[in-house]
Amino acid sequence: MAYHWRKLGHLFNPEQHQLPAGCELYAQSPQALVLDDRVRVYFSTRRAEGGKFVSHVTFAEFSKDFSALLGVADHAVLPPSGLGCFDEHGIFPLSPLVHGDRVLAYTTGWNRRRSVSVDTAIGLAISHDGGQHFERVGAGPVLTASLHEPFLVGDAFVRHFQGRFYLWYIYGTGWKRQSDDAAPDRIYKIAQTVSDDGIHWQGSGGVPIIADVIGPDECQALPSVLCVDGRYHMMFCYRHVFNFRQDPSRGYRLGHAWSDDLLVWHRDDADFALAGTPGDWDADMQCYPHVFSCDGQVYLLYNGNQFGRHGFGLAQLQKV
Amino acid sequence: MFQWEKLGKVFTPQAIGERPWLQEFAQAPATLIKDDVVRVYFSCRPPADARGQYVSYSAWVDLDRHDLFKLRAVAREPILLLGAAGCFDEFGVYPVSVIRHGSEVRAYYGGWTRCESVPFDVAIGMAVSHDDGTTFQRLGPGPILAASPDEPFVISGPKIRYFNQRYYLFYIAGRCWKLVDGRPEPVYTIRVAVSDDGIRWEKHNRDLIPPRIEDDEAQASPDVFFHEGRYHMFFCYRRSERYRGREGGYRIGYASSTDLLNWERDDERAGITISESGWDDEMVSYPHVFALDGQIYMAYLGNQVGRYGFGLARLKSGLKD
Repeated sequence: MAYHWRKLGHLFNPEQHQLPAGCELYAQSPQALVLDDRVRVYFSTRRAEGGKFVSHVTFAEFSKDFSALLGVADHAVLPPSGLGCFDEHGIFPLSPLVHGDRVLAYTTGWNRRRSVSVDTAIGLAISHDGGQHFERVGAGPVLTASLHEPFLVGDAFVRHFQGRFYLWYIYGTGWKRQSDDAAPDRIYKIAQTVSDDGIHWQGSGGVPIIADVIGPDECQALPSVLCVDGRYHMMFCYRHVFNFRQDPSRGYRLGHAWSDDLLVWHRDDADFALAGTPGDWDADMQCYPHVFSCDGQVYLLYNGNQFGRHGFGLAQLQKV
Repeated sequence: MFQWEKLGKVFTPQAIGERPWLQEFAQAPATLIKDDVVRVYFSCRPPADARGQYVSYSAWVDLDRHDLFKLRAVAREPILLLGAAGCFDEFGVYPVSVIRHGSEVRAYYGGWTRCESVPFDVAIGMAVSHDDGTTFQRLGPGPILAASPDEPFVISGPKIRYFNQRYYLFYIAGRCWKLVDGRPEPVYTIRVAVSDDGIRWEKHNRDLIPPRIEDDEAQASPDVFFHEGRYHMFFCYRRSERYRGREGGYRIGYASSTDLLNWERDDERAGITISESGWDDEMVSYPHVFALDGQIYMAYLGNQVGRYGFGLARLKSGLKD
């Protein structure tokens, strides 16, 4: 059975709203928390600080049919981090998961480096007020660099399937220069690992699970997984390693893979396909997908041009 | 109380020559006992770069087993190259601790990277030697022990031990970066992790040694050995501010334990401190205790945390108190 995504449009444009923490641009990596009477969408937004950006996480809330924007939070959901911590220079993204009467948030924390621009690691924060505010479980990460995953561990997405917690995430495999005087660009791949409690993770040991389609330097990001009609489907995004900001043909596209056993993943970008609309907000780039279900429908949140500078859009799954 | 007889400085990096990467510093000595020599691993540096920043390498020197003041050989090359771009050990391999494992020698080391808001971060890596500790190969490009919720940064200073069929990794973990005159200074405490295979570690997640001279006391070099029913730890500690001179600089402390997890600190017993004059008259630090041919020795650093090399002391008495 084949599926495709029917676009419902540009759902949220940050330029049209007052965002907290002095943020004005970007609503990146939207991730849904489906509540009884609304859908809350967390996203990362940015404030310029000394010529660089710091990302903060906030949210917007929508009616369950997405016909109405109910409100935009007036606060960042996490307090600032400490000096030298893994998430000192921003959190992007935050992935929520309801667990009993708590909401868990898996965060990707960013910290700036000297020889390369940045490193990342995965943190965990917990909310006891339904996801309005989160507290970190500690100042450090729950999953970071390890023997065979040496840097850039991030983009966590956790679901409870078959009695265990599954974490899909990315790790860096190399920093590579296009030319001798160019700044290094990063390469990263999607991996998965399991846990009994959702807190203690071992990491995959450097085992990518998604086959490349544009060569070994393909950069893969933002895996999210949903079970549709008895089969697990993953949406993610991928791009070339160099010139991905300037050249639209090398920028992020959406990818897809499926699995029946949560072990072996079969890449099939032709299924669950979504392409940019020429002249529209997502014409040049489609990135940071997030799949979820709500009231019996399957939806996709994603960012368009310029990595979500102009916000995010929504699509609905349809059988072909 | 332990009574140590200082034997003097045994190794001076400035005197070696022909090794651009070994110009100054011989930090954090750690021994591997061989038939004819005591191999002492240490960490050293080439001159600072144009911006005043250092990288660290680790190497070894062989001391004659029957006359520890006789140098028999010095490594021709560092035991490891620096890590690749973006890796945890791109700017330093310091310090190193070694242990035999069958026919291998395993090395655990601090890998250094450079950050923007703070000067550095550290995580612990692992390498293996198949030529009795002369050259080493990394197990992988990443660390085997790194930050976690309770240990957010600066996971460093590994000391590997094997007791009761288990591996114990004593190390330090950063607790906070303290701004002193606008400069971030790391505060770190002594921790331990336990492993069955020496590769996958379970952190104990507790400070082993309570601070004594101030709440933000920084502790390093947790060096543990077993003798007659007790575990003994020599370590070093310093103030959190203005610690680069005699006043707040490193001193050597002591603790003991019967179970490796619960420790009783008693610095009075350490029995070794700064000299009135000489190479160790401002600070003493990075103790490493080893037994050799019926004697117990301590290798340690003097002024400027080993810039001019390391020395030795021999235990005269105190172990049976």
